[in-house]
Amino acid sequence: MTPSHEIETRLRETAEQLLREKRVDLFLGYEKASLPFRTTPLFLTCPQEVERLAWNPFCAANLAVYLPRLFKAPADARQAKDAPPPPTVGVVLKGCDTRSVVALIQERQVPRDKLVLVGVACPGMVDRRKAERALGEHVALGAGEDAQGNVHAVVEDGTEVALPREQILASACLECRSPTPSIHDALLGEPVEAKDPQAARRQTAEFGAKALAARWAHLRQTLSKCIRCNACRQACPMCYCKECLLDQTRPRWLGAGTDISDVTIYHLVRACHMAGRCTECGACVRACPMGIDTRLLVRKLNQEVEDLYGYRPGEAIDATPPLSAFAMDDPQDFLTEP
Amino acid sequence: MSQTQTVQEAAPGKEWEPKIVAFLCNWCSYAGADLAGVSRIQYPHNVRVIRVPCSGRINPAFLLRALQNGADGVLVSGCHPGDCHYITGNLVARRKFALLKELVQYAGIEPQRVQFSWVSASEGGRFAGIVEKVVEEVRKLGPNQKLVKTL
Repeated sequence: MTPSHEIETRLRETAEQLLREKRVDLFLGYEKASLPFRTTPLFLTCPQEVERLAWNPFCAANLAVYLPRLFKAPADARQAKDAPPPPTVGVVLKGCDTRSVVALIQERQVPRDKLVLVGVACPGMVDRRKAERALGEHVALGAGEDAQGNVHAVVEDGTEVALPREQILASACLECRSPTPSIHDALLGEPVEAKDPQAARRQTAEFGAKALAARWAHLRQTLSKCIRCNACRQACPMCYCKECLLDQTRPRWLGAGTDISDVTIYHLVRACHMAGRCTECGACVRACPMGIDTRLLVRKLNQEVEDLYGYRPGEAIDATPPLSAFAMDDPQDFLTEP
Repeated sequence: MSQTQTVQEAAPGKEWEPKIVAFLCNWCSYAGADLAGVSRIQYPHNVRVIRVPCSGRINPAFLLRALQNGADGVLVSGCHPGDCHYITGNLVARRKFALLKELVQYAGIEPQRVQFSWVSASEGGRFAGIVEKVVEEVRKLGPNQKLVKTL
């Protein structure tokens, strides 16, 4: 594993060069945030400011979410004539973020030739909620990483508390099957192996082994916390629709409140829309203010897509997304026969 | 469609009857259902038919919304693979359906409440048979209480 500070230095060099040589108009990265266990997205336009770029175990956010809106064409054709040409954008991408960008390119939401993909082999990112839980009663004032890659927090009395990585990594990172970007224009850091490729399968198998009623009870209990803030949708790089089906009012497909029936259907529909598209970056889980495992249903559908149609989202740009395609001999044993 | 309309409850004193919302494609299954009627084939009267241009028009949200508004089960029927009026509508839909069926089951909803089938315009008997089977299975499950919205 390459130490973070080395990657950070190389990242700044790369960004500086790209901006100076005008190969990109905009560079997307992370900046140190004022709160511990966090970073904030950084939009750089001039090479003098690359020192603001950061790389540490808290760069969890998926920057791919900002890309579609940078390339969105004006809705009005008259405006489109005078619109400025689309920018070229450099962007820092971990394994999961790369998968999102690949999926966005496939779905024609971002043009490949306008992007410079700076991939970083990702050792896994810290889930701030897990880190806060691991600290127990202590309150973190700061957090950092030493040269060996151990994460620590500085708590209220000034002492340093070591936090073992495997305890505080985000669940999406523990399940990640391709932490090293497969497609990139520059790759920083030594390639990283997947930690536990079967982790997601084990989780769905465990949930699926429960009785029907128990599954329903578990789902209801999980979703009863949902406040329908739609943060999971906003944070998701694959949810780029101009108008969401669930926001429509004529007809209104779904109530906007927290009625448990509406909440359940919201999550079921979201899972349907994500099937074979979700790149498993965990952005929805991070965004959820109520700590819901928003990936519960999507995780299963993605595995189902892989089993039925042999497809994993975000692997290859020239692949056809499975739900835009078909085969004459697709399995249909689910059909009702008289 | 702009306001929520819950399917009417059964009159008091009457035995519960399952309500099935059937989404039938215009070109095959709707004609199949028509043929069943014209041929005077008897089948349970529990289905409420909604005609759609193609089974490819079905959005999973339609089916979930039907269940939310008081249907005890939904049935989707389209042309047999290869017979689609729009060539490939039902083939693309088939993948969506397979996933929805799996999702519903995984989420803990009885999979028999969401059923899919292919019925051609000449298969009036087959349509009647499928409706019989769906109604029978849903009757066994009892009223749908999981997704129904109660205010």
